[in-house]
Amino acid sequence: MSKTYLITRPEHDDTTHYLSKWSKDTLSLAEEKEFKVLDLPREKANKIEVESKLMKFSPDLVVFNGHGDDNTVTGHKNEQLITAGKNETLLKNKIIYAISCRSAKILGEKSVKAGAISYSGYDEDFVFVYDPNKITIPCSDSTAKLFLEHSQIFIESIIKGNTIEESKKKAENILRKNIIRLLGSNQDSSLVRYLWWDLKHFVSLGNMNAIV
Amino acid sequence: MKIPKDIKQLVIARLETLPKGRKISIGSRGEFTKEELIESVKKEDEIGKKIVEIELEFLRALKEGIIV
Repeated sequence: MSKTYLITRPEHDDTTHYLSKWSKDTLSLAEEKEFKVLDLPREKANKIEVESKLMKFSPDLVVFNGHGDDNTVTGHKNEQLITAGKNETLLKNKIIYAISCRSAKILGEKSVKAGAISYSGYDEDFVFVYDPNKITIPCSDSTAKLFLEHSQIFIESIIKGNTIEESKKKAENILRKNIIRLLGSNQDSSLVRYLWWDLKHFVSLGNMNAIV
Repeated sequence: MKIPKDIKQLVIARLETLPKGRKISIGSRGEFTKEELIESVKKEDEIGKKIVEIELEFLRALKEGIIV
């Protein structure tokens, strides 16, 4: 039976625009691997669509791009999509990755308690640096790549059938490699503090041996 | 809590080393230039306090040799 991959990709500000474009490549890989792909870009990344897709298709893998806080992940124009204590039970039996600030802190824990297989994300603000001159071609922004490549690798690794633990290690290694590279660079070594912050606050909760 | 003056000066000096012409996305807090971050640290607003926290945690990790 084919697997299902749900992804939200709001694009209403620079941050969500970058996250959306950097996660887009994972769609073609998922299709190659014969996943059913449920892509919710821009205004489709709203609560009604997300809840409906979660209930109707019960996707195996769910990726939320967007903003958030300790209790919630948001979609288009910061509409709350999943909120702890309200609708996290919709994440039951699913592998979740939220590229959003702080949601792993409380929402992640509550989702796993409510039956999510695993919840990966950040337990603090997710920070990245980008070049505004590359706003129309974010995937060619070498500065942003330092920060966003690991999330692409993490999703792709899960889609390829690796465990959460293996995928997390791959993603962390990308961040480490970038830190080491920048430490030896005259130009951008000042960015290391933010890469290190993201590495430190990238967490996975739940079953680390799970595969999609 | 007020940020001690010497910490503020240290963080501002370190922010000055960020490359020119880039923006820093701090999640739902927004996107900022280094000049805006420096201003936030000076004003000790929410963003400024977060930047100070990141800097101090990073310096602590450097001291303890636990960067990677």
